[in-house]
Order: sequence, then C-alpha cells, then structure tokens
Amino acid sequence: MEYVIMTTGFALAIFGLYGLLSQKNLIKIIIGFSIFTTGINIVMVAIGYVRGGIAPILDNEGISQIAAQKSIVDPVPQALVLTSIVIGLGVTALMLAYVMKLYQDKKSLNINDYKNLKW
Amino acid sequence: MVGPIYIIALALGLAFFLGFFGKSLKTFSGFVMLAGLAGMTFISGQWLMAFVDGSATTQEIFTAGFKPPFSINLRMGIEEATFTFMINVIGLLGGIYLFNRLKEVGNSAMSVFIVLIMSLNVIVMTRDIFNLFVFVEIGSIATAGMIILDKTSKSLQAGLKYLLATGVISGLLLIGIIFAYYFAGSLNIDGIIAANLMASKAGAVAVFLIIAVLVLELKPFPANGWGLDVYESSNPGFGAIVSAGTATAGLFVLYKVLPMGGDAWYQYISIIGLITFVGSNLVGTQQKIANRLLGYSSIGQIGLVMTVIGLQPILGDAFAFIAFALLLNHFLAKAGLFWISGIIKKENITDWSALRKNSALLIMFVIFIFALIGFPPFPSFFGKYELIMSLISSDNIWVAVVILIGSFAEGIYMFRWLGHVLKNENSEEEVLDIPWNKFIPIVLVTVSLLAAGFYSVPFVAGANYFYFVPLAFILFLGLIDFLPAYIKNTVSIAGMGYYSWLLYPLVEGDLMRTIFFAIFMFGGILTLVVGYNKSGKREGFYPVALMMYAGLATIVTTDNMFGFFFGWELMTAGSYFLIIRGKRSKPHAYSYMLFSVAGAYLILLGFGLAHASGQTQALIALKDISVLPTLAYTLLAVGFMTKTASLGLHIWLPGAHGEAESDVSPMVSAVLLKAGVFGLMLLFLYMGEQTGDTLLFILGWVGAFTALVGNLAASFQEDAKRMLAYSSIGQLGYILFAIAMMTQLGWLAGFTYVINHFLFKAILFMVVGGIVVKAGTHNLYQMGGLIKKMPLSFLAVLIAMITMAGLPPLSGFAGKWLFYNAVILKGWYIQGVIVFFAGTIAFLYAFKLLHSIFLGQLKDNHRNLKEISPSILIPVYILIAGIFYFSAFPQDVLEPIGNMLANYFPSTLEWAADGNAVTILSNWNGNAVMIIIISMFVLVLGYLWLITGKTQKLEQFNIVYSAERPFRPETTHVSHNMFAGLNKAIGFLVAPGITNFWNNVSKMVLDFAGVVRRLYSGNGQVYAIHIIIYIVVFYLISIG
Amino acid sequence: MGKKTLIVLLMVAMAAVLYPLYESYQGSEQLTELGQYYADNGVQDTGAANLVTSVVVTYRGLDTLGEVTILFLAASVISFFLSFKKEDRKESREIRNITEILTTASQVLIPMIYMLGVYIFVNGHLTPGGGFQGGAVIASGTLLMFLSNPDFKLSHKVIHYVESTSGVVFVLIGVLGIFMAGGFLDNRILGLGEVNTLFSAGAIPVIYTFLGLKVGTELSNVLGIFVESQNEQ
Repeated sequence: MEYVIMTTGFALAIFGLYGLLSQKNLIKIIIGFSIFTTGINIVMVAIGYVRGGIAPILDNEGISQIAAQKSIVDPVPQALVLTSIVIGLGVTALMLAYVMKLYQDKKSLNINDYKNLKW
Repeated sequence: MVGPIYIIALALGLAFFLGFFGKSLKTFSGFVMLAGLAGMTFISGQWLMAFVDGSATTQEIFTAGFKPPFSINLRMGIEEATFTFMINVIGLLGGIYLFNRLKEVGNSAMSVFIVLIMSLNVIVMTRDIFNLFVFVEIGSIATAGMIILDKTSKSLQAGLKYLLATGVISGLLLIGIIFAYYFAGSLNIDGIIAANLMASKAGAVAVFLIIAVLVLELKPFPANGWGLDVYESSNPGFGAIVSAGTATAGLFVLYKVLPMGGDAWYQYISIIGLITFVGSNLVGTQQKIANRLLGYSSIGQIGLVMTVIGLQPILGDAFAFIAFALLLNHFLAKAGLFWISGIIKKENITDWSALRKNSALLIMFVIFIFALIGFPPFPSFFGKYELIMSLISSDNIWVAVVILIGSFAEGIYMFRWLGHVLKNENSEEEVLDIPWNKFIPIVLVTVSLLAAGFYSVPFVAGANYFYFVPLAFILFLGLIDFLPAYIKNTVSIAGMGYYSWLLYPLVEGDLMRTIFFAIFMFGGILTLVVGYNKSGKREGFYPVALMMYAGLATIVTTDNMFGFFFGWELMTAGSYFLIIRGKRSKPHAYSYMLFSVAGAYLILLGFGLAHASGQTQALIALKDISVLPTLAYTLLAVGFMTKTASLGLHIWLPGAHGEAESDVSPMVSAVLLKAGVFGLMLLFLYMGEQTGDTLLFILGWVGAFTALVGNLAASFQEDAKRMLAYSSIGQLGYILFAIAMMTQLGWLAGFTYVINHFLFKAILFMVVGGIVVKAGTHNLYQMGGLIKKMPLSFLAVLIAMITMAGLPPLSGFAGKWLFYNAVILKGWYIQGVIVFFAGTIAFLYAFKLLHSIFLGQLKDNHRNLKEISPSILIPVYILIAGIFYFSAFPQDVLEPIGNMLANYFPSTLEWAADGNAVTILSNWNGNAVMIIIISMFVLVLGYLWLITGKTQKLEQFNIVYSAERPFRPETTHVSHNMFAGLNKAIGFLVAPGITNFWNNVSKMVLDFAGVVRRLYSGNGQVYAIHIIIYIVVFYLISIG
Repeated sequence: MGKKTLIVLLMVAMAAVLYPLYESYQGSEQLTELGQYYADNGVQDTGAANLVTSVVVTYRGLDTLGEVTILFLAASVISFFLSFKKEDRKESREIRNITEILTTASQVLIPMIYMLGVYIFVNGHLTPGGGFQGGAVIASGTLLMFLSNPDFKLSHKVIHYVESTSGVVFVLIGVLGIFMAGGFLDNRILGLGEVNTLFSAGAIPVIYTFLGLKVGTELSNVLGIFVESQNEQ
C-alpha cells in the first residue's frame, strides 16, 4: 500500500513539474504547480506511514494508549504536511492574483507574452 | 537581556496589530513599524554587544518548553547575533528609506515588510530544518509582495517569475527535508548532521536536495534569471533589502547547513561560488540598466562569499575575517548603491550624470564603487588581500586567479559606470529631489563602511593604523572643499611637507628609497605649486591629488608587501580621479583604470607567491621566491610595467596624460610613472640577475622597442601634450632597458634617466600645459612664434629639450654616456642600436615641439598672449636649477648611488677626485663639459643677438601660390605632418596594432558576455527550466 | 518540438535524481525515535488526545505561527492589487443568473457550514482537524455566500478586527508561555485538564479557536478581494 502511495506521490510531482515547465497558459502552469506540490505532500504522508498503524489520536474509543503507542502512524509528517499544504495554498493564491493582474494588463495568458525583462 | 524570541513576537504581534487600523492612520502605522524594527535591532544589538564584550554565552532557546529534537529550538550565539543585527539594521534603515512608499501602499505593506525582516531573523537563528523551510517560504512570499511595491507591469512579471522559481525550488527542498527526516529520524539540523546521511546514496541525495536548494536561493549563475528580474524591476529600496538582507541570511543558512554534506560539499560550494562570481560579473559587462547591473554585481559578490564559505576548510583561522569582511563590504556598499539608485531614478547608467548635482551623494557613490572593487581602505580590500594570500599559501593558485578575473570583470562595468557619472552631459533643468529619510541611511552605511575598513586592520598581517593618517587628512580636505583653491592648495602643500618630514626617517639611509621619496614628495609639492594659477574652487581636486601622493609615500616607505599594495591601490585610485578630470578624459581614464587594476592583480598574485615561499609579509619575501619563481617574477614585472606603460601595456598613457589638466599632466607623468620604476627596481634587486636571466633579457628587448615606438609616435604627433605623453613612453623604455641590464652602469644610467625624466618632463608638461591653456589649442600647427611673448617659457623648454635629447652639457648626456658604456659592457649590441636609433628620433620631436611653438610666425589670435603665470614658472625654474646642479656636479648624486649599487653589482665605474667619471671604456667630467659648452653657447647667442637687428619681418601666412591663397593655410605650416617622409618609411611601427589588439580582446569579452546573457530570455518558465537543469547537472557532478 | 523533448528528457533526468530516494524507501515497521517520543509522552506533555494537534500547536508551534503568517502575508499582498492603478476600465463583469436552488440552499447551508467549521477547530485537540481545517471550512461558507449573492460585500472592518485580534492573541499566548510555562508557545499556561474532554490540553483549544477565526477570516478576505477586483473591471 505505502509503495503505491509513494509511487503516486513521486509520479504526480514529476508530472506536475512537467506541466509547470511545458504549458504555455499561465493558469495551466499554476495547475501544474499545484499537482507538483500535491505529489510532494503525498510523498510526505507516505513517509510517515507505519505498517498497520492507525491515526495518531489516543482517545478512549480507539484502542488503549499502551497499544496505541505501538500501532499509530508517525504524527510528525502529518503535522509537516499540514504546514506544507497551507504554504502551497498561500503561494497558489498569490500566483493566481498575479496572473489575474497580468491578464488585466495585457489580455493574454501566454507566458511568452511576458518577456519585458531580459538579459 | 531581552530574549531573541521577542524578535519574532514583536514583529508578528505588530504586523497583526497593524491590521486594526485598516486603511487609516497610515503615518502612525509607519512609526509603529519603525519602532518594531528598532526594537528588533535593539534586541539583536544588545546580544551582539554582550557577545563582543564576553558577558554572554551561546544561548539555546527552546520553544514550547521541550528540548530538541522534540520541539523547535533557536540559537543565539555571536554569529547569529551578528547576522540578525545586520539584517535588522538593514531592515530599519530600509524601512526609513521606504517609509513614504510603504505609507502610500498601506498598512498591509508595512506588515509585509516587518514580517519579511522577521523571517530573515528566524532563518538565521533556527536550528530546525523544517522551521527553516517555513520561514524561507515566509520570506519568499513577503518578497513576492514587496516586488510589486511600485506597481508596475514589469514588477508584476518579475513577481510571477519569482514565485514560479521559488515554488519549484521549495518543492524540492521539501522532498529533501522529508527524506532527511526519514533517514535521520530528526528534523533538528544538528541531529541530521550527527546522523551522517552522506553514508548512504539515498541520504546523500536528500542532503543534495537540501543544500542545492539553499544554493539556488542565493541565485547562482546561470540559474538566476528570476532573481535578476527582481533586482531590475522592484523598487531600489527593496532591492537593497534583497541584496543586503536576504542574501546575508541565505549565506548564513548555507554556512549553517553545509556540515550536513561533509568535506566534499565544501569544494562544490566553492566551485559554484566561483562560477557565479565570474559568470555574473562577466555577463554584467554588457548591462546598461542600472538596477539590473546592481543585480549582476550583487549575485557576483554573493558568489564570492559563497566561494569563501566553501573554502572554509582551506582558510582555517582566517576564514571568519575574510568571509565577514567581504560580506559586510557587499552588504553596506550594495545597500548604499541601491538606495542611491532610488534617488536618481534613472534607468540607464549613461544618464546617471545627474548624480553630480549633489556632491555628497556623488562621493558616497564613488566610495561604494571602490569598496566593491576592493580598493583600500575598505574591508573588501583587507578581505581580498588575506584571501589571495591564504589561497596561494595553501596551493590554490587557480582559485585566486579565477577570483581576480571575476573581480576584474566587475571593475569593467563599475568603472564604465563611474565614467558615465563623472563625465556625461548633465541636463540643467532637472533637480535632484533628496528627501532626508532617503539620505540618512546612505550616509550611515558609508560611515559604517569606512569604520569597517579601519577595524579590519588587526586582522591582516602587515596592516597598520598609521596608513589611515593621510586618509584622515584627505577626509579633512574633502570637508573644506568649499574653500577657494589657493587656500586648499596651501593646506595641501603644508600637509605634504609635514608628512614628508614625518616619513623621512623611514627612508633615511636607504638611498634608492630616498631618491624616489624625493621625487614623489618634492615633485608633488612643486606640481601643487603650479595649482596656484587656478582660480575658483577646483572642487574635489585636492583630496584625490593627495590620495595619490599618500599612496606614493606609502609605497616608498613601507617595508612589507601589504603596505606596498595598500599604497599602490591608493595611488591608483587617486591618479584615476586626477586623470578623469580632463575634459575628454573619460575613455582614457577608463582604460588607465582597467590596466591599473589588472596590473595590481598581477602584483597581488606575485606577492601571494612570495608570501607562500617566505611565509612573511616583509618585502624580503620577494628574495628567493621558491613557489613558481619564474611565474611570480614575471607577474610582478608585468604588473609594474602597466604603470611604466611599457610596449603592449602603454595604450592608456597618451590619452590619459595628454588630456589631463595642465598641472595634472606633470603629476602623472613626471611623478607617478616613477612608481612603476620603483617597483621594478625593487623587484630586480630582490630577484637578482641569476634568477631572472631570461625575464631580464626579454624585458631588455621590450624596453628597447618601447623606446623606439614611443619616440617615433611622439614625432608624428600634432598634439603638443600627446607628444610629451608618447615621449614619456619612450623615456620609460630607456629606463626599463637600462635597469634590465643588471649592471652597475646600467642602473646608474637608469637612475640618471629617472632623475632627468622627472626634471625635464615636469618642466615640459608644466610649461606646455600653461601655454596650451593660454593658446586655447593643443595642436602644434596652430601655434608659433611665441618666443617673443613667452621668452622664459622658451628658455625652460629649450633647457628641458637639451636634457631630454641627451646633449652635453646637461645631465641628459650623463645618462647617455653611462648608458652606452653599460650597453657595450653588457654586450646587448642589437638592442643598443635600437635604443640609439630611438635617441635620434627624440631629436626630431624635440625640435618639432620647440620650433612649432616658439619659432616661426605668431598666429593672429595669439597677438595678445602674455607670459605664463609665475606660479608655473617658479617651480619650473626650481627644476631647471636642479638640472644644472645635477649636470654640473653629477658625482654628488651618482657617486653615492654607484656605491650603493656596488652592494649588488660588480663595480665598473670609478670617480676621480676632480669629478671625472672613469670606466674602462672612457671618461667624462660633468663640470668641465658644462663650463666649456656654456661659454660657447653664450658666445654664439651673443653673436646671433647682434645680427638679428637686420632681419626682415614676415607676416603670418603671407604666402601665395600662383596668386591663390591655400585653402587650409595651416597645412602649409612646417609642423603639420612634419615628418611625413619618416612616417612613410617606418611609420608602420606605430600603426595602432596594439590598440587594435586590446580593442579586439575587449570586444571578444563583451561579445561573449552578449551571447551568454541570451540565456536570460525573459520567459519565467525558461528560468524554471534553468533551475531544473542546474539541479540535474549539479547532481551529475556531485553524486551521479 | 525541441523544447518539449528537452523537458521530457529533463523530467527523466529529474526522476533519475529522485530515484535513489524512492528506492531507499522500504516502508516503516516502527516509529522514528521522534515519533516514538510523541507517542509515549505526547499526551502527558500536552494533554491533547490528537497527537498531530499536539505536534502542530505545541511542539512545532513556531511552524504553525509561521503558517498563519503565510496566510496573513498572502492576504496582505493580494490586497495590494486592489489599490493597483486601473488603467483600462472594461464594462462590468457579466454575471450569470443565480438559480433559485442555490439561493435557497445556501441560506440553509451557510450557517451549518460555519457551525461545522467552528466545531472542527474547537475540537481540534480531540478529533481530526483543527484551526486550519476549521478555518478553511468557514471560508468555504463565505465562498458559497459569494456564489449565491454576487453583490455581497465583506465588511473589511470586521474582517480586519477579527483577523488582527486573533493574530495578536496568538502571539500573546505564545509570549505567556515564556513566563508561565517552559517557553514560547508552550500550551501549559492553562491546566492540562482531563484528556479527551473539551476543556483539556491547556491552551490548545484557545489557540485553535483563534487560529480558526484567523484562517477563516483570512481566506474569506482573499476570496473577497478576488471577487472585488473582478467587479472593479
């Protein structure tokens, strides 16, 4: 199971990166970026998985604490992935805002039209 | 003390708090922000002070009350305190600078600004790798926001490119971090270092991703197009924050994380740094847009510091000082330049002449430029010197060479820019608006830069606080610059006199040094006397003139290589400013500077090799260099020859000397050129004839050809001052040839030439300079017949010419006599013939000059001319007295020199009691010859005077061909194309082949830069591709 | 296409760079040392049943403060755009008719969504979820509001007040940790209480409440700005 998730994560990251680098449309580039970060987040979650583990919440209705300590998944990557998602969200929102403004400026979503700065 | 955690609490608390005000109370919010930044500065400042005075020890701050690795910890040690202090200071000053702009955009902009500075603090302090990632991201997003502070379309594009690039980078960082956690079981940096991930391949990849990304955050060449766009398009006030603040934090992170990778990584980082330093500066040579140029320079300088970080294992104890000196220098200078750019508001560097409207701003600009190139007395000078010394001592010569190449490339565009600023046309209407809140930060960084230089002294062997004494005097002269010229002239002369008296004990007893000391200081004072004929204020003249003389004094009095180099660079800087004062001097001063910088770097490398052999900074290290001796001596010789303008390295001289102001020409020609000669003499004496056999032989030939070409070119000149300039090249060729012979007679001849050239060239340039100003033209064929208007000038030029041409009875003949004896004894016959031939050509131009100016017919527009000013004639006649004394009693000077030289060379010259000089070939008696010739001269003169009453007077150009007047009468002037026949016969020798060669070299460099910079296509996606390519290539080199 | 091929090749190369990581991954049979510490001591240390929450809010509280800051920054920066010069004004945006279903349903759903959001962040220390998740849910309610009523305007004042207050309180609670407990952001400034009850885990529920409010208002604010800047045209 964890291999499937790991593979998916890496594959998404690579495909997302491909989209980011190859698409001409700015919105599609941002979608590529989102896929890229999603893939990485999945990799992070997979890293924290422990075979047979359950969610790291030690309440009474689950299993007893002693047993749980042996059978939960690692809470650290889960906490990290939360942070990473929020960061990804912030960056994506900002990118979209930029694109919106650029579009208002030049009425184009093609990245090749935004080459005023070079050399 | 206030805990470092409060930096975060204060900044974030205030950032959130500012939201309360919405869009109102913007000024109040602005002051709240500044108070917050001041508080942050205070916190890190008090820690820094506590660490400096030793009252604090490194603190670990545990957040949430748990120890690492269970929770995030921050560290506050002396390094962290220093770096956070730097960041907070730039934040505070930057906040003051951007105050109005931030206010216009609103309270949210202030929040973003303060959060940005806070994030840089945490990046420095945190010891948790994921926390580092979070705050790097905060920094990125805040940066993306600040980029659009000016709300231009360009900045929007730059912002998006920046977001795309950092998005890709941080994704890769995250992969690295999570796998580092997987392998090490910890997110704590120290925990990861302890886990030694490099042991496994996968661990090495995780470390690779982390370090590679942190390197990419520093915008390494060439994967940095996005960074350049940010510099170009954002508000310069923010550019200062990125260049100084963000980069400082980034470098510290790299330093902090690098131990994860072990030894191999240090090497990679130094290579990446080198590529960035050289590549970025090279591409920068093509850049015309000021802010982008600053971007190239920033990236280059950061690359240099990165190199030093990578060199940490090699540099050992010296590391901390070198890295910090270079970083601090970049930090202060670049912030200042960006801030100035924000005031000037000119996109193109060719329009920056507007800077001249405010002299304080101009001076600070100059200081920043010189600090960046590594001139004294700025910290980069000390840092770079130490760096080169350490590198060569540790057998890393190629690294030193590459660093100097990068530094030179930076000089190419920085001095071009400076030339534009100093010389370009300036439109009158525009007024420079300088609000105080933009001005104060620039002043503060300038003062810090100077102070940092001063406090660098104890870290460098050979450095001495005494070197700052003349600089303080120069500063004082700068402060009284508003006074009239004659007052400053008097102050300068007094200062130089006092300084000479102060320094004299250092050279006393060492004859060679005493002679050069006399030429430099006495010559300096005499050339300053000429300045009394200038009216007005002569703004900026005295500080730079004295800077040159301070450098010369340091060179001749110091006993160690550091001091020599310090003086050498000081002299170069001063003379550059003197030269560029001329009306059309921009290109000439530029090429002078480039040759000088290149020459200085060669000298530095030579010194490095000497230091590596002798393990001492004392000049004695130049004796018996054991590490690559041939290379070392060649580098030093070529380095000194850039100043003596030997053939191949001479192309800067004619323009630089010819276009200079009338009293600057004698300074740079008669006095300054001798610095190169002093260097060569010093070098040759330490080198000895045996070691330098081949080199000396080649230099002899170079000297001979220099003499020939210099004199030949002089004889074809129509421009009076250029003729004298070419003549200097020729004369310096003689000197090089003479001392390359390495015999007692050769050196005696050399010394005689040195003294003579000083005397007659000073006279000629002073008089001709005075005449040129009066006549309003440099062209010889537009002058004539001035003998009646300026008899005293005529007499002075005549005497100088006789000395120069080596005719008896004057001392030129002494030189020639010694010279031929030396040549014959040495057996350098062919070269000797060339020099002899060159000597005859010297007659030609001597005659041309004398005849064209003073004889023939007076031009109409010169009818009302008067004799040149006594402030010129007095020093001239003092020098003439010197010539007569030296001619009549040569033994007074030459005998002690001969005795001194006997310590180094076998003695071949005897002095008889009656002043007769005797060699095995012939003998010569200065005073006897003098008496005979002068009596003959007086007789002939008297006869001529008697018969001149009968001559018929002719008017100017009363020449008529077949009843027609010539279309351009001046072409009939005898001095127009005077030696056409000679030109036809051997003129090809002076064809501008060498100039063309150097032009082609510079064109090749610029073309190359032009091709490379096409990488920066402007497409944000392409920049992201660059990043991935960089990662892949980097991976293949380091791991794959 | 040359460029596409180059990118494909680059992706292959990139995959090769990352492959050693992938290859080394073998799944885990047991927790890392760090994870084990949290499993063993997390509940006693922080009083929160949800270990992820204890890591997020307490152990790695500084990261969380950073996250909040990132959202705050994004919202602030996006608000710069509002004041951008509007050079070419276009005719106003075409708005499709809102269906009756959406209007009616939203009236029912929006309060429930808000309540769900509040529930998620208040119980963050007990159940999956927390301030960010709850805040995101609240923002989705706001989004529904915009969809169902295009003329709806957020009150910037309210948003700013809520956002600023919760931000400042978060920082102040962090500072209190220095004085009253072990360090910045230590949740033990309040009693840990009995595990698995609402009023437990020290300051975590308080922090999460303010966090939820802050995230909710910030995300709503971002949405609001996007909508507003569209309407301007």
